[in-house]
Amino acid sequence: MQIPAYSFLLLSGGIFTLGAIGFLIRRNPLVIFMCIELMLNAVNLAFAAISRYLNSLDGVVFAFLVITVAAAEVVVGIAIIVQVYRAGRDMDVDELDLMKQ
Amino acid sequence: MSTLAPLVLLTPLAGFLINALFGRMLPRRVSGWVGAGSIGLSLVFALAILVQVIGGEHMDQTYFTWWSSGLFDVPFNLYVDPLSTLMILVITVVGFLIHVYSIGYMAADRGISRFFAYMNLFVFAMLLLVLSGNFIWLVVGWAGVGLCSYLLIGFWYDRPAAVLAARKAFVMNVIGDVGMVFAAFVIFLNLNVLDFGSVFSRVHQLPKGGTVINVICLLLLVGAVAKSAQLPLHTWLPDAMEGPTPVSALIHAATMVTAGVYLVARMHLLYDWAPQAATVVAVIGGVTALFAATIGMTQVDIKRVLAYSTMSQIGYMFLAVGIGAYAAGMFHFMTHAFFKALLFMAAGNVVHAFHDDQDIRHMGQLRRGLPVTFWTFLIGTLSISGFPLLAGFFSKDEIIRAALSAAGIEFVMGLAALLTAGLTAFYMFRLFIIAFGWEWLRDDPRHLHEAPPIQTIPIIILAAGAALGGYFPVANFLEPVFGHAVDIGTGAFIALALLTLVAAGVGFALAYLVYARRPELAVAWRARLGPIATLVEHKYYIDELYDRVIVRPGFALARFLNNVFEPRVIDGTVNGVADFFLLESREWRLIQTGRVRSYGLWTLGGAIGIVGLIAWTLGYLPFRSG
Amino acid sequence: MVVAFAILAAWELVTAAGVVAFRRPIYNALSLVANMLGLAVLFLMLNAQFLFAAQIIVYAGAVMVLFVFIIALLNPGVDLTLQRGSTEWLYGIVMGVLFAALFGALLYNRGLTGRTGPFTPEAISTTGNVQTIGAALYTRFLFPVEVTSILLLMAAVGAVYLAMRKAE
Repeated sequence: MQIPAYSFLLLSGGIFTLGAIGFLIRRNPLVIFMCIELMLNAVNLAFAAISRYLNSLDGVVFAFLVITVAAAEVVVGIAIIVQVYRAGRDMDVDELDLMKQ
Repeated sequence: MSTLAPLVLLTPLAGFLINALFGRMLPRRVSGWVGAGSIGLSLVFALAILVQVIGGEHMDQTYFTWWSSGLFDVPFNLYVDPLSTLMILVITVVGFLIHVYSIGYMAADRGISRFFAYMNLFVFAMLLLVLSGNFIWLVVGWAGVGLCSYLLIGFWYDRPAAVLAARKAFVMNVIGDVGMVFAAFVIFLNLNVLDFGSVFSRVHQLPKGGTVINVICLLLLVGAVAKSAQLPLHTWLPDAMEGPTPVSALIHAATMVTAGVYLVARMHLLYDWAPQAATVVAVIGGVTALFAATIGMTQVDIKRVLAYSTMSQIGYMFLAVGIGAYAAGMFHFMTHAFFKALLFMAAGNVVHAFHDDQDIRHMGQLRRGLPVTFWTFLIGTLSISGFPLLAGFFSKDEIIRAALSAAGIEFVMGLAALLTAGLTAFYMFRLFIIAFGWEWLRDDPRHLHEAPPIQTIPIIILAAGAALGGYFPVANFLEPVFGHAVDIGTGAFIALALLTLVAAGVGFALAYLVYARRPELAVAWRARLGPIATLVEHKYYIDELYDRVIVRPGFALARFLNNVFEPRVIDGTVNGVADFFLLESREWRLIQTGRVRSYGLWTLGGAIGIVGLIAWTLGYLPFRSG
Repeated sequence: MVVAFAILAAWELVTAAGVVAFRRPIYNALSLVANMLGLAVLFLMLNAQFLFAAQIIVYAGAVMVLFVFIIALLNPGVDLTLQRGSTEWLYGIVMGVLFAALFGALLYNRGLTGRTGPFTPEAISTTGNVQTIGAALYTRFLFPVEVTSILLLMAAVGAVYLAMRKAE
């Protein structure tokens, strides 16, 4: 039996919402990064589902590109976090507010 | 020819670039020879063009399109016909001689490479002015020569008088530039074209003597009057003598100041179509000729006398082109370029010999001290006074003849020109007698040195031109442009020639009597003339009039704007805006918490808002818009 | 199939909630690993075998190992997210609910619309999944792929630079 498309999309939306909430309420930069990964994954799921139900490859290709971008982002992000940690700062994004006017 | 014409233009430009970019690295001599050599090369190309033009070739070639916008097309086209050929020849010949002269004259000056850079740029702009085939490039050249004039008058920028004179010249020239630009506007509005060929062929679509064509011609005249130092925009030219003497010779005697004459001659089809404007040209010319000649009689600064003389002679040319004797005007332009450049360069030698003292009353003893300068200056003086068979005699006679054979106001102007011929002889011999000295007048112990050959040879060549220039068949050469000149018959010809000769002879006799034989008469006559002489000596108080009417109110307005308007209104508005945003931003910058999470919140909120709004307007939400 | 999907969906939501809610970063990371593995299975259900493999290798393999490494290295303490008396987290919840509401409304109203393409599962299986995607990547999507490769290069350079810099 075929699973309807919207069930995948709903699931994707749910995961995305959870990721967004996590991004907004967590303060540990590592966890915030994980939440971003979560959101990206949710988008990937939506891409894959749309690709499957429209018989098109575009979604899959885009999901692939998103994975690549996410990997790049994690690498740089974690390098920054390590630098912040080496500088002896707390692991709390609310403390990292040097850009405040 | 289509390659020669740009070469004529580009060689002075190349000289300018070399001197402007590498002038400091070049030895002083090289700087001068680069400057003079580029003009010499340009002269060679100009001669090649002359050969082709004599062969009957004309050219109006577009090289590239500068810009194109709808109806508005500005090509870069060069227009070569006998008229522009005559102009480029005079510019390059006289320009080359003056450049060579300058190598000697400016040899001791610190800024020699700057000087030659400016001079080359000037020649480039002047050539662009006369070769341009449309109004836009004409205006470019027109403004370019004004700029170079400004730079060269103020060449010795550590002299306050030079800086003031430069500023004055620039402001007055800009008045003319504005007139030119407006003329181009009106032409484009009515004819939809700006290149000469099309304008000339379409001008007959306008009603003859109508408002439009008269407005065009009068606006062009504003430019011509300002550039050529005619009444009422003449006051800058005497002050412009603050510049180095070669500048006075090249720019303020031979070439740039005659650009106005060239303009009217180039636009002769327009002026033929606007008789009223042409009459204005003639009247301005005739009045200026007489007016400047009277002032010239009273001045004691050698270069200023020559400056007023230049104004007066250009007045002749204006008179000629105003009454339709275009070939005569251009003929006089050519002979004038020779003898006036000669006079200025000789005067430069004299001024150098007297250690930059320009007061003719301090001079004398020049025949022994500066023989070459003495004799060449004499040739120039004779030529400008209309001594028979010298260049000035032919060209000036032709103008007076043409004016006297006209009717109405033009005839009156012809009488003024005749009177001016007498005055010219008077003031030139006054200058010559006082400055160069009848030896018995005073005994001068100073030991004078003649200028080096590099300064005298160009003067000798120009003296040859001033003596023999009258035999060039200029009128025939220009016939393809202006058509055949009216023949008035031999009897009238000789009678009018005799008339001018008599006028000049009387002028000479008076000068000889007053300044050479009986100097006490000068004092007595001066006393008898009283207020009139005072009026003339003060140049009719025109500078003072402009000062009261324009300059001082201008300064007052500027002070008002600076002290009241600027701080209150302008600054008030600007600062008010700034203060407003400063105050506002004090509130708003609290948003910039620097917290990543709050930015995330705003980002997500914004995304939701935007997506929601789009979806709502497209009707993708359960509750629809509209 | 439906039963499998329901179980997987529940698994996804629970692990996602775990990523958000656990206080110790190592638990968050492990939840994320579980979430990604589940997602890989979902890709398989969607006939996207290539994505399935990429997901396992890149995410579960590389990215998550990096996360766990860093957590082990830095050993951050317990997160003080849900402070007593703080209402900050409420904004996040409200915003998330708003988003979910918008998403659900759109989905409910519009469903999945769009032009269908030629790549039916049958068409893909005749040439093979990886071959089809590879052909697409290096023909139609060549430019995005190249841009992404430059992005990766820059990320590598940036990471090396950051890692080499001495903390001031």
